[in-house]
Amino acid sequence: MIKETSLPDVMESGDSSDAPDIRRAVLVVREERESDLGEEISEFRGLAVAAGYRVAGVIRQRRGRDSRFQVGRGKIEEALAYRADRIIFYNPLSPGQHYNIRQEFGFSAMDRFNLILEIFASRASSREAKLQVELARLSYEAPFVKRMVSQRKLSERAGFMGSGAYEESIYQDMRSRMAKIRETLKGVERSGAVRRNRRREQGFDLVALAGYTNAGKSTLLNALTGSDVLEKDQLFTTLSPTTRAISSDQDAAGRRVLLTDTVGFIDDLPHFFIKAFHSTLSEISCADLILLVADLSDPPNTLRRKMVTCHKVLWDCGATAPLITALNKVDLVPEGELECRMEAISDLVHQPILVSARDSIGLSDLAGRIKAALLPWREVEITLPNTPLGCGELSRLYRWAEPLCVEFGQDIRVRLRARDQVLDRLGLMAADPRGDRDRRCIDQD
Amino acid sequence: MDVVAVDISGRHEVNGRYYMLCAAVAARISARHLEKVYQVRQYPRATDTLGLREVSDLVFSATVGLSGLLLAERGDFYNIERWRVQSLLGREFKYPESLGERLAVELAHHISLSGRRLCSEWWRDGSREEEGYGIEGGYEACVQDDILGGLR
Repeated sequence: MIKETSLPDVMESGDSSDAPDIRRAVLVVREERESDLGEEISEFRGLAVAAGYRVAGVIRQRRGRDSRFQVGRGKIEEALAYRADRIIFYNPLSPGQHYNIRQEFGFSAMDRFNLILEIFASRASSREAKLQVELARLSYEAPFVKRMVSQRKLSERAGFMGSGAYEESIYQDMRSRMAKIRETLKGVERSGAVRRNRRREQGFDLVALAGYTNAGKSTLLNALTGSDVLEKDQLFTTLSPTTRAISSDQDAAGRRVLLTDTVGFIDDLPHFFIKAFHSTLSEISCADLILLVADLSDPPNTLRRKMVTCHKVLWDCGATAPLITALNKVDLVPEGELECRMEAISDLVHQPILVSARDSIGLSDLAGRIKAALLPWREVEITLPNTPLGCGELSRLYRWAEPLCVEFGQDIRVRLRARDQVLDRLGLMAADPRGDRDRRCIDQD
Repeated sequence: MDVVAVDISGRHEVNGRYYMLCAAVAARISARHLEKVYQVRQYPRATDTLGLREVSDLVFSATVGLSGLLLAERGDFYNIERWRVQSLLGREFKYPESLGERLAVELAHHISLSGRRLCSEWWRDGSREEEGYGIEGGYEACVQDDILGGLR
């Protein structure tokens, strides 16, 4: 076994104050022989800071996976010497490794996935987000509990005073709670689908902002919509989807567009995590257009890794909508570096748009591209009764569709352009047998 | 970008043998879409063992003459590093990353799955049944008679 260790480099994170309420953490990273986790470790450090820890030290070890503790015993002892509040492992810990570390060293270990869950749990504000976090946590912990039960059963005696039945019931309780949450989230997903349909019927096009965490999605949303959604230079600032209408000065040439900001992606997420956040990710998979945002200020390798992660998550959540890639933070790219970075991701992006949400660079180009990529509206002619009710309907059509020509006579003849959902609704209204709702919908295409 | 996406179906033992079919799709892709499919090829083969050598040999045979960057799922090559696969096959290779690459591999997957089903169900044909072919016998016949030749 090749074992190469590096001295623990005590690198203080951004906040160097020794305030008593800030928890200290030691990060333990095991690297494979050929791998270089430099960028991943700095992201891992960012996660720890985002979770409210001050990084007391980073311990790295280059070796194969230790089946008992993930890293060598000596490295765990070295981490314990820091007397930190938490020891966080970069590599995923198996239930057995968790058990062994607790038995051998007397502390509860935490891995990267647990850290992400902790961040999510601390930021979840809506009921949906809380349920999703709880489901992800239960999905993660269920195999641990199962393993714990089987470990304890090894020394269990059958019959009276046997402890197995109670332990088993904890596992069963977890399973039933998971089933209940899934059912509730399905309801949330259904109401989301109803909401999306209603918005489409009202003539809105739905555009979802997707991308790696801290790519600048919320900033871009604010720049395009003129809203003031919380934007911060930290990982996972946004958890629940936020929808805003594109403001009139950035209007995509007559189309009314709703932009939805979604939770950021991150590397190496287990599949059950993506499953738990399915209802949130459905905002992306069911959108009319996906606006993939990437941080162009990252070094080429990191940029590529993040783009690959984004494509993987989009694939996993079943996104089929057209994709526009916006390379954000173009103002932060050093001189002469732009081509090198574009080259690094040339096979992952198609005709990207360079933008800077903070400096409002390229936003009008982006709005134009959004308009071009949206499904074209159909042109139809309808007839409305020339009554107060018909005029009310006409005023609604001005909001939902794009009237091209209106002629007032005995009836009101309207030639308009609208999306399919709006035309379907007009068709349904034409079929409505109530009184004066006598109108025709003639498809001219 | 021109690619050749491959996928192997039938990597499980049936009566002590492996009845596999490798589908190769030569296509032009973009980051998001499959732009154009140039050629689709199916290559059936039955082996006694299933190691890296058999897999790489099958993929090599299925993609001879098709130009482009080779794409395959990680599991097809037992998760080994990219450079090792490249040296085994002697050509440019990568695991799928973009949506377009994943689409191409998915297409190859559907083709290989349905092609293998076609092979293994060939025995249901009357004449084959009279000759006493089983599922594996039918597959053998399929391989020997080059039944899929017309699809290449």
